[in-house]
Formats: sequence, structure tokens, C-alpha cells
Amino acid sequence: MSIKQYLLLLLFFTSTSTLLAQNKFTLSGTIRDGSSGETLIGATIKISGPTFAGTQTNNYGYFALTQPAGNYTVTISYLGFIPVTKNINLNKDTKLNEELKVGNDLGGIVIRAKNRKNENVKSAQMGLERIDMKALNSIPVLLGEKDILKTIQLLPGVKSGGEGNTGFYVRGGAADQNLIILDEAVVYNSSHLLGFFSTFNADAIKDVSLYKGGMPAQYGGRLSSVLDVKMDDGNNKEFKFQGGIGLIASRLKAEGPIVKDKGSFMVSFRRTYIDLFLQASPDSSINGSTLNFYDINAKANYKINDKNTIYISGYFGKDNIGVKDLFENNWGNVTTTFRLNHIFNDRLFSNTSLIYNNYNYTVRLLNDVTNFKATSLVRDFNFKEDFQYFSNKHTLRFGLNATHHRISPIDITTSQESQVNPLTQEKRYGLETAVYVSDEWAVNEKLNFLYGARLAAFSLLGPGNFGSYDADGNVLSSEKVTSGKFYKNYLNLEPRFSVSYLFNEENSVKASYNRNTQNIHILTNATSSSPTDQYVLSSNNIKPEIADQVAAGYFRNFNENNYEFSGEVYYKWMQNQIDYRDAAELLGNANVESELLYGTGRAYGLELFFKKKFGKLNGWVGYTLSKTERKFAELNNGNYFPARQDRTHDVSFVGIYNLNKRWTFSSSLIYSTGNAVTYPAGKYIVGGQTVYYYTQRNAGRMPYNMRLDLSATLEGKNKGKFQSSWNFGVYNALGRKNPYSIEFINDPNDPGKTVAEQTSLFGMIPSVTWNFKF
Amino acid sequence: MKKLIIYIAVISFCFTSCKKIIDVDTTNAEPQIVIEGKITDQAGGASVIISKTVGYDESGVYPKVSGASVVVTDPSNGMVVTFFEQSPGVYSQTLKGIPGHTYNLSVKVDGKTYTASSTMPKLVKLDSIGVVSNSFFGNERKTAAAFLVDPANETNFYHFNLYVNNVFSKRVYVNNDRLTNGNKLRIQLYYESNDDDDDGLKTGDAVIVEMKGIDSNIFDYWYTLSQQSGRGPNQGTTPANPPSNISNGALGYFSAHTYQRQSITVK
Repeated sequence: MSIKQYLLLLLFFTSTSTLLAQNKFTLSGTIRDGSSGETLIGATIKISGPTFAGTQTNNYGYFALTQPAGNYTVTISYLGFIPVTKNINLNKDTKLNEELKVGNDLGGIVIRAKNRKNENVKSAQMGLERIDMKALNSIPVLLGEKDILKTIQLLPGVKSGGEGNTGFYVRGGAADQNLIILDEAVVYNSSHLLGFFSTFNADAIKDVSLYKGGMPAQYGGRLSSVLDVKMDDGNNKEFKFQGGIGLIASRLKAEGPIVKDKGSFMVSFRRTYIDLFLQASPDSSINGSTLNFYDINAKANYKINDKNTIYISGYFGKDNIGVKDLFENNWGNVTTTFRLNHIFNDRLFSNTSLIYNNYNYTVRLLNDVTNFKATSLVRDFNFKEDFQYFSNKHTLRFGLNATHHRISPIDITTSQESQVNPLTQEKRYGLETAVYVSDEWAVNEKLNFLYGARLAAFSLLGPGNFGSYDADGNVLSSEKVTSGKFYKNYLNLEPRFSVSYLFNEENSVKASYNRNTQNIHILTNATSSSPTDQYVLSSNNIKPEIADQVAAGYFRNFNENNYEFSGEVYYKWMQNQIDYRDAAELLGNANVESELLYGTGRAYGLELFFKKKFGKLNGWVGYTLSKTERKFAELNNGNYFPARQDRTHDVSFVGIYNLNKRWTFSSSLIYSTGNAVTYPAGKYIVGGQTVYYYTQRNAGRMPYNMRLDLSATLEGKNKGKFQSSWNFGVYNALGRKNPYSIEFINDPNDPGKTVAEQTSLFGMIPSVTWNFKF
Repeated sequence: MKKLIIYIAVISFCFTSCKKIIDVDTTNAEPQIVIEGKITDQAGGASVIISKTVGYDESGVYPKVSGASVVVTDPSNGMVVTFFEQSPGVYSQTLKGIPGHTYNLSVKVDGKTYTASSTMPKLVKLDSIGVVSNSFFGNERKTAAAFLVDPANETNFYHFNLYVNNVFSKRVYVNNDRLTNGNKLRIQLYYESNDDDDDGLKTGDAVIVEMKGIDSNIFDYWYTLSQQSGRGPNQGTTPANPPSNISNGALGYFSAHTYQRQSITVK
């Protein structure tokens, strides 16, 4: 079937439903938090009367339901809020804007059973994890700095990038295959301080969704996951402040109305202060060193009228590391999003976004003869137009997306005395465009579909000199392309399909298939992500990465949705994966594409998840059994080899215990198989050096990882509006020495012999944080 | 280098790391043939050493391979030189290489033939060596340095050896002129002794620097090793055998290079 035919068929399916929707009326509106005016994402609206139906609010708190005329009872509920029930005579299109009151029961501990949701069982969506921002506050983390990226690593199917690291791997994918978006803008480097902390200041975050599979068609551009992060809108009723003082950083957030009930703003700031200790040092070299990061999140919205709301949001973050007279390194992301929500009519909701984002770094070496300054930039302009159409049994989503990329790989400037030459590597320009359509179709009470397609085009634009290379990486030719020319084009159709079948309200099976493609790639031959990682676009040499994933799952809720269980299996094929030749030089190399190897990958696994959502004791257990492998003709004799992050078993346990109104205790325990690494199979001596002989790639295993983290939160006594809390934490409470790296060295007791020496990073680390709100 | 510094900065400022010796589960491969061949522009610098690998956890006594036939040819002038086994596994000849010439090596041993070829680059003069003092986290640290002028009209590759008080530094020092072409260079050689503690050079230390002008294949060989050294599994690039320019699966390399040596005492 051609692409055209497929899309026509899709349109046919979805348009027939609208023809049938005669003599029906639409109930629509926006659901908000009554105390702050924040829109609530994913609030449930259930109506019963002549027919029964239910829906959820979208990312802007908006919902619409179309039903035959009649008298209905409407129930609106949201975790942690008191549900609202209303009687409505639906004899015309009706607006229902509701503000829910916060329940005073500590985040839904004693929420009544009938208001517990079973969305996880019902929805056709698979592979979706939503992070509860309340739970996030009590999950223990390194140095008490709460962090969404470290919290998602506790979920099955998500593997950590390493000890204390915010990098993550989803279902066997690479770290650069995660689409991380903050208010729709891509965040290229999501880590601070070389990966120990993430760029997301939890104070400013409203909602986090992670798609491990079954990505809806509105998302595209990365192979293995989508992490969709949304900032707080700000309180549109009154001014509020909150903040915290921790061991590593301090935070302050202010929010309030611009015009009461119509518009609000939010500004949040965070900064570390390790370098203040450095500056206190009497040593002139140490007090001239820097080591800090800061970030600012800001957002404002204004409701022009019932049909139009505008949002503007931005993120600005920076890391600075430097040692006096040696080097300076800084890096950071900037994102800016301007959005217009427009309601065409009760059923058609649109969101128009204009987005700017960049990531840049600067490295300066200050040595007297090797001094230079190197800068690099990735910059995107992005336009998104997204429509949601709500009809009786269908929620249709369609839109388009266009992103212009500019990459300045490296720009080296030097002083007169420097022995390094100035260098400007050619900029690269690319255009990614996509159109998509998807339909969430509730066929009947039992059967739900979420299906659609995304047509993704990528063009590598001039100007530039584009080289082609032979199988050994030697330059064959170079083509000069003028500005504005479309040098290389790729077109990929990405079908997305999910289905769920409910046996009953607590029991369902689901299946999904989806294809994703990726046209921007990180080049790094080191393990951990580094601020100087290089970005490249698909080109005449680099083909778009393609992943096909099938998944199936069984979903079961118990005890009136208090307990959730799910088991999912998946298999993923990956094409056009990237690895590197021996002796590859990636930085400042105009022919960097000659250093690359292309191969395939496969990943498969089983994920089990058991969660207790309510009650004094809640939490979850996650288990992943998985394998991820790569195959390159030039590596490992052309045989499959395990990817470094291939960890067979991965277990995480999170427990939160609300002792009383003041004390909350929590713990997390993780266990995982060690990384796949290459150990020597022999050794020899050349040029006075002991050199190791390697046979199979990544056939060895690092020792396993295990860590127990504990935390306790003490809420202060309420003194009017001022609320405060203390958080105490212990990271790695067992003090286990987890492996960070292994080095082969001469045995100190028997110098001719070789032994393996393991380095561990963190022992037991206590932390304390004081938080406040008024 | 930069990464190393950042690493040290983060570790020493924020956290304390710790090390311990562990057992790892590895399987030792069958012994492999290792050929290390050198032709230099100095008389008496030509040698071919043939040995075998041992298991990684065995003691560092490498079996020498005797009875090989070792022949070096220079197709540009028809020269054919047979090397003689001076001591077990060590084959040599009084061959003095000429910069610009390409040499072919042929080794026959245990019924297998291994061949390789290497071109001796033009001589780039090692002008001098010296001691440079840098501030490193508040301490003045002295390091050895080589001074030379990189020729602008050619691509150059350098490999250095450093000896301090006759102890060989384990670090691999290898440079190309990709970012420094045509400049006066001061190449610093950070000393790495066996016990990991790098305090820099001290007054009275006897420093010897050997500089070799190598071809691009040999650069790739040493560069691959330098990327792996001191990092081990789970850090840095995935370790792999450095690309050998010898055929038929032999480990090692055959290098025709220029050779210079200078010594100095640290003041």
C-alpha cells in the first residue's frame, strides 16, 4: 500500500464517525485546580444517563464529549482532589468549566474507591508512565536534589546511564534516542554537572509523561522514547512562593496572577553553591576555580477570551566548570516556547507553537601555549500545529511539525602565541517536517484503538561541502552545494497502532506496533554523556535511524484499582545504528562521517510492574528481563554483541510510608546486572607497553549494582500560610561499593601479574534539605 | 586530557572515590603471534621481535618465537635484507632506513606468512627538550616537554617515549598535527609512573625523551592504545585490539620511523 492510500484510508475511517454524530451535543470545558487555577492534565470526566461515556482532559485541561441528548450525571475527578458531581441536561452544546478543591487527605491516601481510575487498564495506550509529582518529592535521591530523570530510572524498561547519572536507556535504545521535550521544546543536553543532576528543576514541573513504546503520532524524531515535560502555569488566584535549601543547591519559585483568574506567571530559579566553598579556600588556585550550575524556568499565560489562551515559557540553564590557569568549560540549553490554544468550536481544539531552542558549549584551555577557545552550537526553530477533534467515539489528532536545525560543530579561536590553529568547521543545516494523524477510537465498552501514522521528511540543506567515503573511510569525493539547496532528502512513513481489549473493568490485554525514525544523532565514543558530545544530521552517508517495535501486555487492577499490575513484552529492531572505527577522531574533524560504522540492533524484554497506589503504604516493584544487541560488519567479526547497557536483570523497589500528617518515610532499592564490557583475553608487550588482547566485544560483565536509598520528610507545624518541611536522606545506605569502572593494572604484590581494580564513586552520602512554601 | 581534568575536578571536589581489587570472570585465548618490527633512520635501529601472548592474569613472561624467516625489502632500490636471530625471538640487521622510502616486511613462522609495509616520514627535527612548570590545583608541577617545529606542507605524526630516572613512563604519547599544523610546538609529556601517583618531576631527575616520526597507520595504532590506556572497561572507548598493519591476524606493528633521543636533568 502506498503512503497516499494509507493516509486516505485513515482519513476515511476517521471522517465516517463525524457523519454519524447527528442529533448529539457536546459537553466541553476546562478543569482546573481551585486553589491555583492550574489546569489539570488527565482529569477524568465520566457521564452517565441515556449513555455512559468517559474521557480525560488533554494537556491544557480541556475535554469534550459528544453524546445523544438527555439528562446526565457528570463526575469529574482527579487524584488528590475532591470529586465534583453535577446533573446536566444535554439539549444543546454545553460548557462545563470546573475548579476542583484539593482533598485534605494527604495526596489521596483515603480516596474513595469509586473514584479511583482504571485508565491504565482501559486506554489503548501502551508503554506510558506518568510520574506523580507528589511521589517525586518523597523518593530518595543523591544529595537530596529531587530529580525526575532519576525517578524514571526506577521504572521497568528504563535503565540508568550509570551511578548517580541522569542519562537513561529505554528498552535497549541508546541515550541519544530519547526525545526530551520541555513545553514542546527539545532539550538536547538534559544533564548538569557532567550528568549527576538533571536540567529539570522539579519545583517548576507540572507533569511528566514517559512513552517507552506505542508513541502517539504527534511525537516523532527519536527512536526509543518520548519524555514529555510540562512546566507549571503559575497560580492565577494569589501570589505564592516556595523554595528550598539543600546541600548542593537552593531553589526559589514565585508565582501569581497577572490578571486574577485570567492570567498567571511562574518563575523558578535554582543554583548550586559548591563553588562558594571553593572560594572560601585560602589556596589561591582553588579559590579561582569554578564549579556551579544554575537554571531558570519561567512561564506566563493569559486567557484572552473563552476561545483563546496564550502561553509563553522559557528555560535557561548553564553549567560552569573551571580550574584556574588550566581550563574553563561552560554549557547550557535555552528553550523558548510561544503557544496559542484556540478552541474553534466545542469539538475542535488547536494548539499552535513557535519554539526556539539551542544547546551550546564553550571550552577554553588556558595553558600558555595550547590556549584556545572552542565553541559549538545546535539551534532549532520549530513550528507545530496540533489539532484535536473530539467526537462521539473518536478523538482525532492531526497536525504538522517543521523544524529547522543549524549545527555549528566546532569553532576554534586562538591567541597569537597558541600552537593550536584556528578552525571553523562547516555549519550543517537540516529541515525536518512531518504531518500526522491519529485516532483514539472507543469501538465499544471493551475495544479501544489508538492508531495513526506520521509521515516524516528530512532534508539536508546547503550550503556545505559534502564528502563521500569508501568502505575504509577514505575520501572518494566532495560535493559543493550552494545555500538553500536540498542536498539529500529522506521520507519515512511511521505507522503507529495500539489496541486494548477489556475483559472487564479490571482486566485487559493490549498490543501495539510502531515505527520511529531519527535524523539527528550524537557522536560519542565515551561511555558517559559529555558536554562536548557532537551532534550530526542524517546525510548522504548517515541514513535515518529506524526502529520498529512490537509490544503486547496484560493489565490487571485489583482491590478497586488500589493495586495495579502490568506485564509487557516487546521486541525492537533497529536499523542504521552508529558506531566508530578504531582510532576515530570525532572532534574538529571535517570528515567525521568517515569515522562512522553503520549496523543494526535488536532488543527484547519482559517488564513486570506492580504498584500500590493508595493507602498509608504505597509504592511499586518493577522488574525487567531484557537483552539488547548490536551488529556491525566491521566489529566482533560481524556477529551480534551486547550493547554496553545490556543488563539482563533490573529490579527496583520503591516504598513510601505516610506515618502521620507530619512524617513520611520512603526507600528505594535497586539491583541490576552489571554492564556488558570487554575484558582482555590475553596480554603482550610492544614498545615497552603491556597491551591487552581482546577477542569478543562486550562479552564480559561488570559486577552487579545494588543500592538502598532512604529518606524521611518531616512537615513543619502549620503557622498560618507558611509551611515548611525537612527532608533527610541517605544515599547508598548500605555503603556498597558499586562498580563505576574497572582498570587492569599490575598486581602491587606481584608486579609481572595483572589484576582488575574497580573504582566506585559514591559511598554512603547523607543529605538534608529544608523546603518552604507561603 | 580535558576530560581527565574535569574528571579529577569533579571527583576531588565533590565526592570521594574508592578503589579495590576484584575478581573478574574472563577466559584466556590461545596464544597469538605478536610481531614488533622497527626500521629507523639510525644505524642499528632495525629489529623485529616475535613473541606470543599470555593469559591476562599470568605473569608477564612472554614466550619468544624462534626460527622465523624475517626479510625486509625496499622496492624503490631493489634492496632485500634478511634479518638474523641475535637472541631468541629477536631478529636484527645493520639496516639504516632512508626517510621517504617504503619498507616491506615478510615474516614466515610456523607455516604462516605475515606481511606489512610502512613508509618512513621525512625527518622533523626535535629541537630540544625541557621542563615546563604548570600550576595544577594550586601546586606547581613540572613536566617534561619536547620542542619542535611542525612542517606546514605535510601531515605529521609523532610518537614519544619518556624515561624518568631510567623508568619507562607507561603513558602513550602520540600526536598528529591536525589542529596544530605548521606551528612551533611544545608537547608536554605527563609522567605516569607505576604507582599512579603523579607528583611531576623533581629536581635532580634524569629525563630521557625519544621522539619518533611515524606514518599514519602507526599513529592509528598508538592513538587507539592511548584512548584506552588508564581507563579500562566501562570508561572511555570500548577496548579493542589496535589496528595492526601486519596481515594474517598477527598482533603488533611494523614501523619505519625517524628516531631522535635527548636527555636532560631537572634543575
